[in-house]
Amino acid sequence: MSAVDVAERPRPEPSDLTRPFWDAAREHRLVRQVCDDCGRSRFTPQIACPACLSTASTWTPSTGRGTVYSATVVHRAPYPGFTSPYHVVMVDLEEDWTMLSNLVGTGAEPVAIGTAVEVDWLELDDELTLPVFRPVDAGAGR
Amino acid sequence: MSGRGRLSDVAIVGVGATTQARRLGTTSLHASLEAAKAALADAGLTKDDVDGIAARWPGPGGTVFQPGSADWAGLLGIHVDWIGDSYPQGVPAVLDAAAAIGAGLCETVLITGGQAGVMEAEAGKVAKYTRPANEFVEPYGSFTSTQFALVAQRYLHRFPEARGAMAEVAAAIRNTGSANPEAVMHGRGPYTAQDVLDAPKVVDPFTRLDLCLANEGAAALVLTTVERARACRKAPVVVLGGGMEWMRQQYVDPPRYEEVRTVGAKAARRAFSMCGLGPEDVDAFQLYDVNSYEVLRQFEAIGLCGEGEAGDLVRERGIGVDGGLPTCTDGGVLSFSHIGWGAPTLKIIEGVRQVRGEAGDRQVAGAQVALAAGAGAGAQYHNVVLLGPDR
Repeated sequence: MSAVDVAERPRPEPSDLTRPFWDAAREHRLVRQVCDDCGRSRFTPQIACPACLSTASTWTPSTGRGTVYSATVVHRAPYPGFTSPYHVVMVDLEEDWTMLSNLVGTGAEPVAIGTAVEVDWLELDDELTLPVFRPVDAGAGR
Repeated sequence: MSGRGRLSDVAIVGVGATTQARRLGTTSLHASLEAAKAALADAGLTKDDVDGIAARWPGPGGTVFQPGSADWAGLLGIHVDWIGDSYPQGVPAVLDAAAAIGAGLCETVLITGGQAGVMEAEAGKVAKYTRPANEFVEPYGSFTSTQFALVAQRYLHRFPEARGAMAEVAAAIRNTGSANPEAVMHGRGPYTAQDVLDAPKVVDPFTRLDLCLANEGAAALVLTTVERARACRKAPVVVLGGGMEWMRQQYVDPPRYEEVRTVGAKAARRAFSMCGLGPEDVDAFQLYDVNSYEVLRQFEAIGLCGEGEAGDLVRERGIGVDGGLPTCTDGGVLSFSHIGWGAPTLKIIEGVRQVRGEAGDRQVAGAQVALAAGAGAGAQYHNVVLLGPDR
């Protein structure tokens, strides 16, 4: 993914509800809402906990580590801002929540379900950083 | 259930569609009006018989306040007693309209919609309605087919041999469409399963031939009471039963296979329970074939077989017009036509034509019961309607 392509990507337009996620990403922190009452993580952001309906929650840092729940490779970009092929994955994070993201630093084929991954940071521009994931190097001793 | 408010008190009496084509030299509004006029003519009714409308205003030119069915009242020069804007196409529109008619809120409903003059702007991109404008989706280059692919990849992880069956499904439905003179892909093919596998990849596991079209056209329906339907031009096609399931907003939170693989199962059970029928009683399956995997999934969800068994099911029984499970008998959204929001209505039209026995060369012999469905696992909602003759 070249810088030129990245610059053309559709930009998130955060709301009051979602801005803490993007603000944290700029500081290279991956966060999600955790319910103050029942302790469940939730993502994408919601005004209330889908389990207990409590509206009290705290944006809480994740380890950024998880496993691939499902993975695909897009061979024909649907709109500008992407160089095909690229990877779209669902990542199950360690704290029991899930994100749709891109996988970088891997080959041309979809990675295996269950692949261990960790968060990485794609700088779209000075104001916007996109959390993406890369496979954890099995030899790195994590 | 006792006498009042049953779906089966309501019938579809008119169907109408424009030419379905890659490009129509007109606007969405013109096309939708043309389809509406055709449906009214098919029913032998006029606009003055209509007292309920479910239709998207295909803009521009609508009002700033929820453009939709009320705009159509103005366009048609009529006052109406009911409008249905929540999902004014396909199965939900039919079920909502039938419920309104059954409850006595109105008597005759027009449903219309489609798209034209829009695909030129989409050249080189996937159609706009397949690009979810959500901040947690769009920056990652995910689109409708990607979300379905993430489900299919989990399915194939468990049942890898199903990839061959997916290709056979795509080939079979495309070959049905190839033989339909009204299909956008008429005359293209025939295709083999290997052709599907060898086509250019779009998003794993799907190749171009695994995925539906995006084109132009419009489709319309007219519904009224069975009592009134008996005086219309064509034999009534009764709404035997139906059901809807919505899990969450589509294409925001990505779909988890274990959760979405059965979306539509409860809707189908509800539909069948309303009329005392089961999936083996269906003669024509107008499944929502947005991709080859969805056809397998929907056979499993509506209860024809268990998880992972649909590949064997379609191979053993066949899904062509002459097969044991005639499926997408017009060629489906894979080959006949996919007109955006109007596509779900095309499924109803083909179901009606099969029950009426007017499907011509693609008629399923002796078809009595047709099932039509909308959306699927990637969309995280699904709906089902059963159609049959007036008895």
